[in-house]
Amino acid sequence: MRRQRDNATTRSIAVGGLARVEPRVWRGAMPVQFLYTAGAAGERFFQTLKRKGIFTATHCEECRLTYLPPRLYCERCFADLSDTWRDVTPVGRVYTFTIVHVDREGGPLSSPELVAFVRIDGTDGGLVTRLLEIAPEDVRIDMSVEITLAPPRKRRGTLEDILGFRPARSVAKRPFTRR
Amino acid sequence: MSEGVAIVGVGAAVPRPLSRDVSYREMIFDAATRAHTDAGVTHHEIDSVVSVCEDLHEGTSITDEYVPDQLGAVLKPVQTIAGDGVQGVATGFMLIRTGIADLVVIESHCKSSNILRHGDVLEMALDPVYDRPLRANPHYIAGMEMRRYLHESGTTEEAVAAVVSKNRAHALDNPVAPFGARIHTDDVLASSPLCEPLRVLEMSPYADGAVVFVLASEERARRCPRPVWIRGIGWISDSPWLAMREWADAVYASLSAQMAYQMAGIASPAEEIGFAEVDDTYAYKELQHLEAAQLAPRGRAGVMTLAGETRRDGRLPVNCSGGSLGMGYCFDASALYRIAEAARQIRGESGRAQVAHATTGLVISWRGVPTQSGGAVVLNAD
Repeated sequence: MRRQRDNATTRSIAVGGLARVEPRVWRGAMPVQFLYTAGAAGERFFQTLKRKGIFTATHCEECRLTYLPPRLYCERCFADLSDTWRDVTPVGRVYTFTIVHVDREGGPLSSPELVAFVRIDGTDGGLVTRLLEIAPEDVRIDMSVEITLAPPRKRRGTLEDILGFRPARSVAKRPFTRR
Repeated sequence: MSEGVAIVGVGAAVPRPLSRDVSYREMIFDAATRAHTDAGVTHHEIDSVVSVCEDLHEGTSITDEYVPDQLGAVLKPVQTIAGDGVQGVATGFMLIRTGIADLVVIESHCKSSNILRHGDVLEMALDPVYDRPLRANPHYIAGMEMRRYLHESGTTEEAVAAVVSKNRAHALDNPVAPFGARIHTDDVLASSPLCEPLRVLEMSPYADGAVVFVLASEERARRCPRPVWIRGIGWISDSPWLAMREWADAVYASLSAQMAYQMAGIASPAEEIGFAEVDDTYAYKELQHLEAAQLAPRGRAGVMTLAGETRRDGRLPVNCSGGSLGMGYCFDASALYRIAEAARQIRGESGRAQVAHATTGLVISWRGVPTQSGGAVVLNAD
């Protein structure tokens, strides 16, 4: 969002016996840089995606929760899930979506972006992703979608391997249950 | 050890969109001296100090090094909390309940006008591996949450727009609210889309500000002129993963409110809570939070709003201060502005914004996107 600027609220400052001055600003930036790691669960997820073109998830039998993105632990019962891997077909349903009209600095986007949270079938998780091959006005909550991946040789084992999700070509109704 | 804990001093800098004439230290000093005066104490008497602040909001690192002097906290126990404002109040509450302190200062501030690109701060709060690569404006999270909330609760976009009309109109009666305006619901609906269905006018404008409270033990509070009692307090963090959240429901607010109600001995919130100051960073949040706090049945908060029941003269007055939509959004200090305004109501000091019979009030706070952290406070006159 663009900040609302109201010059009327800027007050001049009295500096002792000197004339009043307009307040100045001192500029600064935080030029810090970082490295991140996906961890053992994240590496397995992205390597599986890169090599097989499918997702992999972990499962807590006790809580009946399937984690995607996968985690090595259950956030509810704190069980170790490192031996509970299961393959997951990268299809799901649009759980919610938005049409983003502003860029990351708050300026207007010439072409609005369609962003959705896709709940992956057979899991309690999902991914925030772009919707492809569909006009914003045609998107519906609960519509079935499937993954569009980068071609195998272009995959790097990162989230960018997922170009987005598109309307599922097989329109068979899948029962939707969660928890 | 003290059973009761009261807010005995309230000091708030007037929120405003730009504050280049003061440093944030001076703004905090202003709020602190107001709070001390209000409580009738000097800073020498303060036993412990809690500041709610966040490095990337300050533009400094190791922010605790920037805290003590302007709060009268040099050579005193000080701690900083990078969290929601209610977490700071809860920490002060615990310091008093455990007998460690009798008088505690809680502070939070916001110089949002110092931040040139707040979107960068929000983006750095997203998971670097799974969420950040999307490189979309992080307010998309609010857009998606609003869509799912409307879908599941049956709330209309008109009801969300009515929250904006109401709170901006309420702000006209609050002399310290900078964003008071008469805005018709149709004008809100006609405003530019931000992250559909969320519109530009449905997001609180940023403001700079600072709030300081003096909290006191029961015995100490009885010697202060106008104590407002904290009868219940709760704070919850839900799963931070975008993949695991409910999207439609503010579960953190439900559980925070339950925790606060239980402590306060409130069994029927809708009957016992007289008014509320709830987070409205985005207009739909007010409706979501009212339902989470059991002040409205699921899907009814919007209907109540359209019927005028949450106006100052309605059955359940909500955000008579103007909320963040009318007073401005002050990051983690927003929670303290809501509490400060609720305390003023209970003391009967709200002037034209005053609610009749404001004896028991509820505050619901939220830490903003992308978090699922929030809090609840039940305040009472005696």
